[in-house]
Amino acid sequence: MENILHLWENTGLYQMQPGQGIMIAIGMLLLYLAINKNFEPLLLVPIGFGGVLANIPGAGLAEHGGILHIFYSVGIESGAFPLIIFMGVGAMTDFGPLLANPRTLFLGAAAQFGIFATLMGAVVLSTFGIFDFSLADAAAIGIIGGADGPTSIYVASKLAPDLLGAIAVASYSYMALVPLIQPPIMRLLTTEAERKIKMVQQRHVSQREKIIFPLLLLLLVAFLLPDAAPLLGMFCFGNLMKECAVVDRLSNTTQNSLINTVTIFLGLAVGSKLSADKFLDLTTLGILLLGMIAFSIGTASGVVMAKIMNKISTKPINPLIGSAGVSAVPMAARVSNKLGLEADPHNFLLMHAMGPNVAGLIGSAVAAGIMINYVTGG
Amino acid sequence: MDKSSLMSDGFTLMLFGMSFVFIFLTVLVFATGLMSKLISRYERNVGVIPEEGVPSPTAVIPHHEHPHSSSASPADDATVISVISAAVTKFRSRHK
Repeated sequence: MENILHLWENTGLYQMQPGQGIMIAIGMLLLYLAINKNFEPLLLVPIGFGGVLANIPGAGLAEHGGILHIFYSVGIESGAFPLIIFMGVGAMTDFGPLLANPRTLFLGAAAQFGIFATLMGAVVLSTFGIFDFSLADAAAIGIIGGADGPTSIYVASKLAPDLLGAIAVASYSYMALVPLIQPPIMRLLTTEAERKIKMVQQRHVSQREKIIFPLLLLLLVAFLLPDAAPLLGMFCFGNLMKECAVVDRLSNTTQNSLINTVTIFLGLAVGSKLSADKFLDLTTLGILLLGMIAFSIGTASGVVMAKIMNKISTKPINPLIGSAGVSAVPMAARVSNKLGLEADPHNFLLMHAMGPNVAGLIGSAVAAGIMINYVTGG
Repeated sequence: MDKSSLMSDGFTLMLFGMSFVFIFLTVLVFATGLMSKLISRYERNVGVIPEEGVPSPTAVIPHHEHPHSSSASPADDATVISVISAAVTKFRSRHK
């Protein structure tokens, strides 16, 4: 009888706490969204599954010594996984559209306003005692507005490891929701005539320029903002491997097998942060809300900046490409293209929008560097 | 950390951060522009025929006395046409 009782006490059913049950359901919901609705499946499948694993009562997969905890401490706590992902993203990025029209970098800069506005929002909320965020927490939450998963995870692991689960889930879900969140804001801020603006065909960019650009960027980072060097350094390294065309084997590995391998472990490790005691409170709700605001402000400020540039510049600039300044590559550029086609079926903005899109990636990495510099040094 | 200093810290970080992002990317815009200009100047000669003329291919014996003259004579054209049509005929006969 005692043995049976012992066995019963070891079952999941006996040990299950309501929080864990809810978190398993949330994990399943993420899996459903990924599999059935095709929302960022590459990330939400590992994250969702990791979330379910982490909440199995009594198994302790996410506790000290558990396998998910090991993934977490090896890859995320050390900052390695987001950096390896950034290297892969670098190897997949084509700087051609950006080099053809370097001024689109300003759009990438403007869209980072979402990050800082949200940081301010989080600080104001905790000043009024609604939430209790420190400056580091607020910075990590703001970076969601960059709509750049690896950067968010990197910053969160440095500044606010406790909030990592919520921040990662928020930033990846908003990346998936780009096609839903952005268009209404873009339509609101532009007129029909502005959306019809056609842009000049881009010039040809030579191979030499493409090889030198990552080195130039690296030097600038080295001189001006060493705190962004881990992120942008890996990014430039990946890009140089692609463009120099003498290490195709390395570049292929980085773009494919390596980034895929790391994505699996990154997803599981992020999932391990979805444990009930950390995730199920009002703070998470606040983070999701603030992240959404960050993202919307980023989109809006990108569009407004593009409108200003269109007024000043001699060459026409369609304001729709401004929204691509939030980094979510390449979804944001596709959204710009789609809205351009809606206004005029012959208006192809995709390549023009890739410029600000890549600029946004650089911009949010720079913003991340500044936040880390200010918070840890100041 | 008391609340008012948190607020002012946040505000400083916002101003400082946003202006730094802009400064950094502005510098990058100019650096990129300069780089592109330098490279396109360097590459301007690529694909342009040098002034002293292109050396004639060794397999074809030039029919005229001044192989380096830039103006093409009718005889020159005739050679080119005959060479090209021979090549085309050979290509067609092989790929039928």
